[in-house]
Amino acid sequence: MLSQLVLGTSNTLYLGDMLFYAIVFIILMWLIKIFAWGPVTKMMKERADRIANDIDSAKKSREDAAKLAEQREAALKNSHAEASTIVSNAKDNGNKQRDQIVTSAQEEVQTLKQNAQTSIEQERKDALKGAQDDVASLSIEIASKIIQKELNAQDQKQLIDSYIEGLGKQNESR
Amino acid sequence: MNGESVSTFQFLGLTFNTTNIISGLLAATIVFVVVFVLSRKIQLKPTGKQNVLEWMIDFTNNIVRGSVTNGDAPKFGLYAFTLFLFIFVSNQLGMFLQIGWNGVTYVRSPTSDPVITLTLSLMTIMFAHFSGVEKLGFKRYFKNTYLTPFVFWLPISIFTELIDFLTLGLRIYGVIFSGEMLLKIIGGMAFSGGPLMTIATVPISLIWQGFSVFLGSIQAYVFVTLTSVYISQQVQIEE
Repeated sequence: MLSQLVLGTSNTLYLGDMLFYAIVFIILMWLIKIFAWGPVTKMMKERADRIANDIDSAKKSREDAAKLAEQREAALKNSHAEASTIVSNAKDNGNKQRDQIVTSAQEEVQTLKQNAQTSIEQERKDALKGAQDDVASLSIEIASKIIQKELNAQDQKQLIDSYIEGLGKQNESR
Repeated sequence: MNGESVSTFQFLGLTFNTTNIISGLLAATIVFVVVFVLSRKIQLKPTGKQNVLEWMIDFTNNIVRGSVTNGDAPKFGLYAFTLFLFIFVSNQLGMFLQIGWNGVTYVRSPTSDPVITLTLSLMTIMFAHFSGVEKLGFKRYFKNTYLTPFVFWLPISIFTELIDFLTLGLRIYGVIFSGEMLLKIIGGMAFSGGPLMTIATVPISLIWQGFSVFLGSIQAYVFVTLTSVYISQQVQIEE
């Protein structure tokens, strides 16, 4: 009776319809889940994750970039300092080397000079000694010649000439 | 309309209404085909069809999230989505397509039959209660649903559940049935008074059809909203 009142147009309660609709609905839900709901929601979740990741990684890379820039600036500053150190070191080294070279050159010159002086002195001494020897032998020769002979004028002249000749010969032989 | 003949058949001792079977199958098929076509070539970067599908999913998900607030919402998204599409298509089906033969209408809105709307309503209520038991355990579910705020609230609670079930189903039935009824009356008027009458009824029919489409959409929305409200009542403990 109730069913007739409620349903109005129908004479029986279509229990079969209810069952049929429930089953159709469940099958429909299942199919949608397999073909659309599952993949789409998965993709939406993936996208959400991806976006979150992208935001995070973007933040991270921005921080990294800032850090890198800072490092580079510091390195630049360091390199300036280093360069100036290198230059000043080089200058110092150059100065030192120059001084060294100059000093050593001076020393060498000094040594050379001394050597030269010593050798000159030696030569002079040798020459003097040679001259002395010559004079001594000459005087001895003259004396002996004077003693050996009483000389007349002609002889004397002869003697002198012979001596001079002897000298010339001596000179030539030298 | 009273007196309209109905085609029924018996199967396994149950009575089936041919109209409802055909219409329901048609509605379900339309829903499936639409969703199937829209869900081809799912990509991470959505384009065209996928945007439409995702918009629909977001739409129903937002309805559910509006009432179920404690993180359970994703579990009911699929149910709400399917329910919304099925009811929406069912509501609109009769607006565009009414196939009759030998005085029997074979295709119309399935939701213009109270048996169908009450079936959907019953499914929703059962789903809500089942979710409640699953979430809270039977004891807490029973206490939460029937014995709050007082123990002697039990009869009122049971009555409330019955009312929820009936109003949920009959609201949509009323709207869709009356819409179709009026369309039929307008259609009948069109062929009762000569060509002048036919021309005169065209704008009326157009207006009413548009309004029915609007009502059908609203009813689908309302049905899903109430569904999520009932679910949230069961799965969330009211303080």
